[in-house]
Amino acid sequence: MTTESSIGSVPGAEENDLVRRNTAQEVNQTLDTRMADRVRGYAARGDSNELSARIEELEQEWSIERLIETEASIMGLTGLGLGAFINRKFLAVPAFVGAMVLLHGVQGWYPMLPLFRRLGFRSREEIDREKFAMKVVRGDFVGADNGETASETERVGKALAAIRKS
Amino acid sequence: MTPSNTDQIADRVREHSPSTFNKAIDRETEGRLLRYAAMGEEGITRQIEELEKEWDMERLLETNASTLTVAAMAAFGLTRNKKWLFVPGFVMSFFFQHAVQGWCPPVPVFRRAGVRTRQEIEREKYALKVLRGDFNDLGAYENEGEITEKALRAVAR
Repeated sequence: MTTESSIGSVPGAEENDLVRRNTAQEVNQTLDTRMADRVRGYAARGDSNELSARIEELEQEWSIERLIETEASIMGLTGLGLGAFINRKFLAVPAFVGAMVLLHGVQGWYPMLPLFRRLGFRSREEIDREKFAMKVVRGDFVGADNGETASETERVGKALAAIRKS
Repeated sequence: MTPSNTDQIADRVREHSPSTFNKAIDRETEGRLLRYAAMGEEGITRQIEELEKEWDMERLLETNASTLTVAAMAAFGLTRNKKWLFVPGFVMSFFFQHAVQGWCPPVPVFRRAGVRTRQEIEREKYALKVLRGDFNDLGAYENEGEITEKALRAVAR
């Protein structure tokens, strides 16, 4: 394993992100490498306004779930309309789409997943990983945990403040 | 802990949920964090694993909407009664609305039951990572490059 593969997830560790688990390894790695290079680029420039803009952008980024939901509902509704008014055979489309979304919800795979992944769409976990890396670079976590000496309330309060900093 | 500024963070489901449900979910998260802060590394690591497996709002809605669609299409196939087609019609319209706007009828019900968005789950996860010490000593590094590599390792841990 190359060092790059350790950026997205710990090598050998079980992948809890169903989108990543159902994506070809090299596609995951490409997305991870691009993410890491972006973080390095922003860090090298060191402009905190630019970092804040990027963090905001990441919060607005369309996750792959949102894309699948949009695509599936458009396909399903179109098929349903054509089936109800033009030709009943089109009703196979909403039935198929429904079955595929169910499969995706339960197990993670989806027919459009390979395409959407290659287009660069990411799971919310991946987007948030970049977001929190950018927050670290911005300095949000400096002194976020002052360890054993502080009370639990204080430690949790500080951690949450760092997490929520916008 | 003061009232959070979490509502500034873009999260369409939170924006379209009653704030009492949002607050209840936040309070529960904070209570859990206080317990885990006292538990030490092993307990925290176990909880992070749990959070990664937690069913979020999107997954629950996807499963629900598709189950209803498949069931209604099967009922139509068996009965040939066109009225069944209203079910996928409604379900998929709301599903589309949810994807685009963030709200659909089951959202308030699920929110009341404590179902969280992935962003909320991730925030608890990263708070736990802070408490576990994943982000400690970041100030001790002199150059940006080192901090970046440490950050990338810390978020992937």
